[in-house]
Amino acid sequence: MSSFARKLFSHARLAKWAVSGPPFVFLLLFFVLPGAIMVIASFRYPGEFGGLAPLTAADPGTLQGFTLETYRFFFSDFIYTEIFIKSFLVALATTLLCLIMAYPLALLIARSPKKSRDFMVLLVILPFASSFLIRVYAWMILLGPQAALSQIVNGLLGALGIAPVQLLFSPFAVLISMVYVHLPFMVLPLYTNLEKHDPSLLDAAQDCGANAWRRFWQVTFPLSLPGVFSGSTLVFIPVLGMFAIPDILGGTGDMLVGNLIKEQFLGTRDWPFGSTLSIMLTIAVLLFVWIAAKLGSTRGRYV
Amino acid sequence: MTVSGAGHRGFWLWATSLGVYAFLYVPLLIVVVYSFNDSRLNAEWVGFTWHWYDVLLHDEDMLAAVGNSLFIATVSSLIATVLGTMAGIAMHRYGVKALTFMALTPVAMPEILLGVSLLLFFIQVINLTLGLVSIIIAHITFSIGFVAVIVRARLAGIDESIFEAARDLGASPWETFRHVTFPLILPGVVAGGLMAFTLSIDDFVITFFTAGVGVSTLPLRVYSMIKIAVTPEVNAVSTLLMLLTLTMIVLASKFSPDVLRGKT
Amino acid sequence: MSNISLRALLLLLLAGNAFADDVLHLYNWNNYISAETVARFEAQCACRVVQDYYSDNEEMLAKLAAGATGYDIIVPTGNAMESLIRQQALRPLDKSKLPNLKNINPAYLDTAFDPGNRFSVPYAYTLTLLGYNVEKMHELGLPTDTWAVIFEPEYLVKVKGRVTVLDSQRELMAAALKYLGYSANDTGEAHWKQARDLIIRAKPYWAAFNASSYIKELTVGNIWLVHGYSNDIFQANLDAQKAGRKFSIASSIPKQGAVLSLDSMVLHKTGPRPDLALRFIDYMLEGSNSAELTNLIGSGNPNLDALRHIKPEIAQNPAIFPDAQHLAHLEMLRDLNRHQRRVLSRMWTEIKLR
Repeated sequence: MSSFARKLFSHARLAKWAVSGPPFVFLLLFFVLPGAIMVIASFRYPGEFGGLAPLTAADPGTLQGFTLETYRFFFSDFIYTEIFIKSFLVALATTLLCLIMAYPLALLIARSPKKSRDFMVLLVILPFASSFLIRVYAWMILLGPQAALSQIVNGLLGALGIAPVQLLFSPFAVLISMVYVHLPFMVLPLYTNLEKHDPSLLDAAQDCGANAWRRFWQVTFPLSLPGVFSGSTLVFIPVLGMFAIPDILGGTGDMLVGNLIKEQFLGTRDWPFGSTLSIMLTIAVLLFVWIAAKLGSTRGRYV
Repeated sequence: MTVSGAGHRGFWLWATSLGVYAFLYVPLLIVVVYSFNDSRLNAEWVGFTWHWYDVLLHDEDMLAAVGNSLFIATVSSLIATVLGTMAGIAMHRYGVKALTFMALTPVAMPEILLGVSLLLFFIQVINLTLGLVSIIIAHITFSIGFVAVIVRARLAGIDESIFEAARDLGASPWETFRHVTFPLILPGVVAGGLMAFTLSIDDFVITFFTAGVGVSTLPLRVYSMIKIAVTPEVNAVSTLLMLLTLTMIVLASKFSPDVLRGKT
Repeated sequence: MSNISLRALLLLLLAGNAFADDVLHLYNWNNYISAETVARFEAQCACRVVQDYYSDNEEMLAKLAAGATGYDIIVPTGNAMESLIRQQALRPLDKSKLPNLKNINPAYLDTAFDPGNRFSVPYAYTLTLLGYNVEKMHELGLPTDTWAVIFEPEYLVKVKGRVTVLDSQRELMAAALKYLGYSANDTGEAHWKQARDLIIRAKPYWAAFNASSYIKELTVGNIWLVHGYSNDIFQANLDAQKAGRKFSIASSIPKQGAVLSLDSMVLHKTGPRPDLALRFIDYMLEGSNSAELTNLIGSGNPNLDALRHIKPEIAQNPAIFPDAQHLAHLEMLRDLNRHQRRVLSRMWTEIKLR
């Protein structure tokens, strides 16, 4: 009997390794290792023509080995901290706007008859099925000076005696398409959360004399906080690293961390500094996740 | 009087929601409509034409990019499905913490980070010429997590006792997998594979950094057209691409409703 | 399954080894060769020309630094070529295979980037200058012969939101440096800071930093004044005429001088077909072939034999074929070292954020 158990045990161990081994090795090789390489690269010198300077060079006069130079450079000028703060603010604004737009929709879906919910969710996901670039490009057409939207806005401004504004290539264009692209990420977790709420709680609140406004802020909203936090994470993090939207729709001042990182690798040919910026971005993301988790857990206890 | 029927509040909920739906759909509708615009500049509506679809069908660079995209998506989604299914099982059955972390982090981080770290790795460490192979590897890396999550969700919905029963009947782990587990998770596996395919077809950021020069994919091509010379051809290719991904998503949701629940 | 993986393997092999017989790989700027020219060459050599494109020298260099291989011919601008030469990435030319080299105007040979033209043959050039909507500029009474018009608020107030400048660190700095009276290749940090401040002061009046779509914006009439490339502005005017717009687009070289970018054909070391490449270069050196490009996109042409094939309205355009006085004020950009690149990148970040 005990030998049978041992056999079973070793079989199970074998199975465990057979199943987890291949994906483990693959991800170790192509996710963990590249991450480690990036950390190392941030302590190297840039190569004369791009890439990294060699670790050891025959000529002692050339730059070689490891250095803290890129980190010193990062902190030597406030401009880099500033661009992180700016990206943070853009991500925050996007997240809040997404939340404001997604909440009513998620609430409506969650309170709709069961039959129609799946279809309503599908309607949220479908635009998401079109390529990211196409969704950004759509705003290029919509915000163009000849487009109806610009004509209407500027017509109104003109009637009020205000000089016409340019919608395309502006911070506004960047923000609106950031919201557009990430909105479904906010709707889905919110809906998943709201759907689980027990309607009898609201009825009870109503019986206690709470009006609709109070019922929402004292019952529904606190209960939905986990959904709010997971949706916010799904919106905030990708926005923090975005480069394509400012690239396509941005004006003279729209540069985010993502653009700066892209420029180091594909423009300035300064890989060590690009790596440093990437590591700083990683730290910023982890910081955000940590704060969100903290907030989520304390709020959760309070509720 | 029930809460959901609460008079004017219900009306406002409906009105804002309809507004949000419009916000989601109007831009895409414009893209489709403008693909029939008879104007190279595509700044204002001029007239109806099929011309841009014709241009598209004769654009060799574009067709080559479409071919590359389909090839990359097929190969990477097949491999990612196998590896992601394994990872999903390992996460559910054995609770391998490190694997959960490694599979889900690439999904959770800003894409640019995976892109540049892979670029560094390919060039600096393994000296791989960027091209089809590097793109495929990159796509597998970020797809594994998606497949794993869908498969894990499927497994979580299965009653554990069925596996115990198989074991009690003397089935080996392989036999249990082959005859019990696999048929049960198959819808999840297929849905995961379709998701991986869609993600690969659509990916821009990570491909942008790992593509090198010789190989272009559809999103890369669209990007350079948007940046350099926007003609309604971009709208035409967008419209066709929308139809394709739409089909994939609907298929995926047929196989596994988990897809509709978002990422996790 | 095995069938699929076999096909996959086959395709991978093909992709890695796509340079089978008689294919010439050309890595060129966007829209920088006429399709007819290529087609005739393909017929002549019974080979196929496969093209890839870039829209910025830095992009091309970065992609090559990122390991791109297999290109027979690249068409870099002087400074990028200099960098490639110093990296020993190029193949010396066998000039006995290039009898048509005699067609090139000696003024464009023997540049500082490649003394003695060991590696390069001039292809075409563009100027970075002012492009403008003729009617609008006239109506507003703005000068078009000075960089002041894109840098000085007194002029800019009249065209606020109607101006774009190139989204290129080097080009924009060069224009600012030129306006301040320095060399476009000045790398002194004090001068750079002056240029940076000039740019930051003018920035609120600009609509965007833009590297390519300003062509369309000029054509449509949204943008009236640009800092851009001569051939793009030429293209914008052609498009505007074709679309029946009621205005025309013109370009001019500011009196302070401008950047001349001479693009040259070079052979990359990893190119498998230097023989075909040399044939192609000599073919492009024939006056009629070279002229085809100029007629198509309005690029400057260093080929003396091409002049007689060029449309007169282009040949007589002083912003495409500058006179001796303007020529003296034109400069080609030199490559920057890694320290300068980093400093410039930081300034660029400041420019974008402030």
